[in-house]
Amino acid sequence: MTAPLRTDLAAPALAFAGVTRTFRGAAALEDVSFQVPEGSFTVLLGAAGAGKTTTLRIAAGLDGPDSGLVAIGGRDAGGLEPKDRDLAMIFDNLALYPDKTGFRNIASPLEIRRVRPAEIAARVTEIAATLRISHVLQRLPRTMSGGERQRVALGRALIRAPKLFLLDEPLSSLDAMLRIELRAELKRLQRELGHAFLLATPDFAEAMAIADTVVLIRAGRVVQIADPQTLYDLPADRAAARFVGAPEINLVPVTLADGGLVRVAGGMVAVPPDLAARLAAAGGTAEAGIRPEHLALADARTAPLRATLADVEPLGLKAALTVTAPDGTALRLVVEAAVARGLAPGAPLGLALETAPMVLFDTTTGRRLA
Amino acid sequence: MSTPKLELVNVRKDFSDGSVAAVDGVDLTVTSGETVALLGPSGCGKSTTLNMIVGLEQPTSGEIRIDGVSVVGVPAGQRNVGLVFQDYAVFTHMTVAKNLAFGLEVRGRPKADVAKAVAEVAELLGMTDKLKAKAAELGGSELQRVAIGRTLVTRPAILLLDEPLSNLEAAARLAMRRELRRLQSEIGLTIVYVTHDQIEALSLADRIAVMSAGKIRQVAATSDVYDRPDHVFVASFLGSPPMNLVRGQLMSAAGDMVFRRESLVIPLARPDLQPRPGEIVFGIRPEALTLVPAHDTPLAGPVTFVEPRGPEAVVTVDLGAASLKVLAPARGRPMEGDRVGVALDPAQIVLFGGDTGRRLAL
Repeated sequence: MTAPLRTDLAAPALAFAGVTRTFRGAAALEDVSFQVPEGSFTVLLGAAGAGKTTTLRIAAGLDGPDSGLVAIGGRDAGGLEPKDRDLAMIFDNLALYPDKTGFRNIASPLEIRRVRPAEIAARVTEIAATLRISHVLQRLPRTMSGGERQRVALGRALIRAPKLFLLDEPLSSLDAMLRIELRAELKRLQRELGHAFLLATPDFAEAMAIADTVVLIRAGRVVQIADPQTLYDLPADRAAARFVGAPEINLVPVTLADGGLVRVAGGMVAVPPDLAARLAAAGGTAEAGIRPEHLALADARTAPLRATLADVEPLGLKAALTVTAPDGTALRLVVEAAVARGLAPGAPLGLALETAPMVLFDTTTGRRLA
Repeated sequence: MSTPKLELVNVRKDFSDGSVAAVDGVDLTVTSGETVALLGPSGCGKSTTLNMIVGLEQPTSGEIRIDGVSVVGVPAGQRNVGLVFQDYAVFTHMTVAKNLAFGLEVRGRPKADVAKAVAEVAELLGMTDKLKAKAAELGGSELQRVAIGRTLVTRPAILLLDEPLSNLEAAARLAMRRELRRLQSEIGLTIVYVTHDQIEALSLADRIAVMSAGKIRQVAATSDVYDRPDHVFVASFLGSPPMNLVRGQLMSAAGDMVFRRESLVIPLARPDLQPRPGEIVFGIRPEALTLVPAHDTPLAGPVTFVEPRGPEAVVTVDLGAASLKVLAPARGRPMEGDRVGVALDPAQIVLFGGDTGRRLAL
């Protein structure tokens, strides 16, 4: 006999267990399970079409799963209407009432609930101060900047003080710089308020910057659930490795040779014993994931790897180099901009490879070899 | 000296209600074969500037010359400039070939010439095998290539791009950036483009014009804009995270120069500096700061925020009167709440006038 799901303090703010949703025969979500713990900032990371919005809509009760369970605060949300779920959903279009001031936009959820005007005024003032938008309360949305509109939309969601916030790419329509500022602010707010946030984004940098936990989804399936650094250092598979990190990770075939050496990009490098063991267990060949920062320029006469310079992409203080190894393998690495300026296309280069952080993927399945 | 490809002289555009200038006295010279980025936040006037070059908007005053000839008053279609928008404007019901041919066909060029030009551009863009495909079947980066190809086929004197990559996903954006840089070097195009994304500007442009509030704050080679910002806005807009900027005073304390803001005193170890009256803005890049044990320095405080980036993390340290962001290696990074010290490279300090925002000559 199974006990009924009950509300208790240890229960996650949101839980998906084996949720599947099919649209016209095609699975939008397949066996999706994850949790948003109380007070946590969880990020749903995935490319366009991965199922992020479907997940949020199901969490909000705007759509229902074909099978599986959704629990909010430890209670089965199956029969709950969206309005009874004690959550707020913020979309990227920041739909504000164009003819209402900032104050009235933020106040609107309370006005609908007939809260006393004095209390509304007090709460709007407080929220506006937290969000640093006190100066736009008397203004109409069209006179506000993108960031101010964003915060007004957030204020309108916050004013009800729901337990769970669902944010669907809330920053995607903003300028690059503003996006970086506001994501730090979102994180700060979430901490101060202590509410649980579930934010969907296709931007790995955003996910890394703000998440306590990242839920990586691809083609409707959960690929990996991890903290940002683990997701970066130990991606679950080849595609996850490519999706997270810029410049993109290098994926290079490697073969085990004698004496703990590994053949890579036309050269030989020494690897830690555990890496050699994993490679041996996989039959001696695999695809190595090498982050650009684990390659460095070295003296061409003594370096373990040789290459010629194919392309330089300036990135401000740094530059991304694309180099070609003698066996044709293209590798990317990041160097100081000043170093890159001294290099001519076709220049012969030596490369040093830090092998300890190297990850190995199964050549056929693409899964990381653990 | 050869004639500049494009010249903007004191170009001004007032809003219709006359309240503020959208573009407020912009001077810009672009030489042949050069790529210049207009970089700034939304509302800074960069798109309005581009629209005036194209002829979609008329300047209130000022001069715009292409190849030394004024184009003010010349209708948009007759300036021999090609504009590519962020929303492609590709005819999705037509084939790629038809899309590429469109600009020449409406100009009534002979069929053989059109076919030849289309074949050349398709070759250049690596789309020869896609010529018969319907545009509706293409992905984002391919659509963008068609949009650029449609413009290139008319052989414009200047290619103007308005946020050309902002609709693309990260991987496609990277590929397209490479593509554009290849085009630049292969056909020596003169390109002016507008973006709010500094990485896009830094990776494509020879020079960057950084705009805010209708003005160009600095126009310089990409590395100079980053390393030697002329204006506090430029310093605050470039970098990820941007430069730490703190207002305070430059003063002498016990014979050494220090920067001071309330209780925060930063020794500058710069005997070349002189005390000065009034407020200044102290600037230092997060990359020029390192974390050290807290007991090694008076510049110490709790970590309030850690933003992992993958290879590194952005660590915010609360020093009382100000917080500084430090770019630290991901391995060995502190936790929030840890007490850490901050060490700085004095050579990388930049100072700006508190009132003017201009960089102070040191």
